[in-house]
Amino acid sequence: MQPGTELSNEVRLHVMRQVIETGRVPKVDETANALGQPSEDVRRAHRQLAEAHVFVLEPGSFELRMASPFSAIPTPFEVAIGERKWWGNCIWDAMGIAAVLKAEARISTKCPDCGHPLSLTVNGPAVSGDPGIVHFAVPAARWWDDIIYT
Amino acid sequence: MLLFRSEEHVETWCWARSLRVGGTLSLDQASELAWIWFRDRLEPSWKRKTLEEAESIFGSLGLTGNFWKLRP
Repeated sequence: MQPGTELSNEVRLHVMRQVIETGRVPKVDETANALGQPSEDVRRAHRQLAEAHVFVLEPGSFELRMASPFSAIPTPFEVAIGERKWWGNCIWDAMGIAAVLKAEARISTKCPDCGHPLSLTVNGPAVSGDPGIVHFAVPAARWWDDIIYT
Repeated sequence: MLLFRSEEHVETWCWARSLRVGGTLSLDQASELAWIWFRDRLEPSWKRKTLEEAESIFGSLGLTGNFWKLRP
């Protein structure tokens, strides 16, 4: 096991559990306080998780932009389970939130071409709701060249 | 990865941005992919999928061809 890997996994799980519980991706200092670790170590864990393509950092920062499948900022992909809401980074991630939570989720987005509202219900691998098609603009081998654009 | 109403809307959107149409998935394919990809994310022992595992998942969903190749 590489140095820091254990803390990185602890940070990963804490972030995921926090965003599920609160609907918000925690800041470095919040995670550091919760885990009783120095902020510097949490920043290092964020960087390791980003290098491993698990999380995505805000450009020029150690704070998180994406704790996939969750987004730290509002996006056009709102996911609701009951009264609780989260944002996915893209439609794949929005469906992924339902998979992480293993619950029936309602996804609300809009067609990027015409702005028509689209609503899906996802439960496990099953999906229902409006007709639609998922489009990937970037070839798979280049997704991580610029994951925010992807 | 965006959700469009139909293939026609994908084509119009790409044309307006001078983009070639990329890869498309049906809702069933996308939902299956998300389920397989994310369902174990809260397990303490979770590890990022290897290239070989990801290729196997893509292949099982019919995502083959150059667009879906994961190796440069």
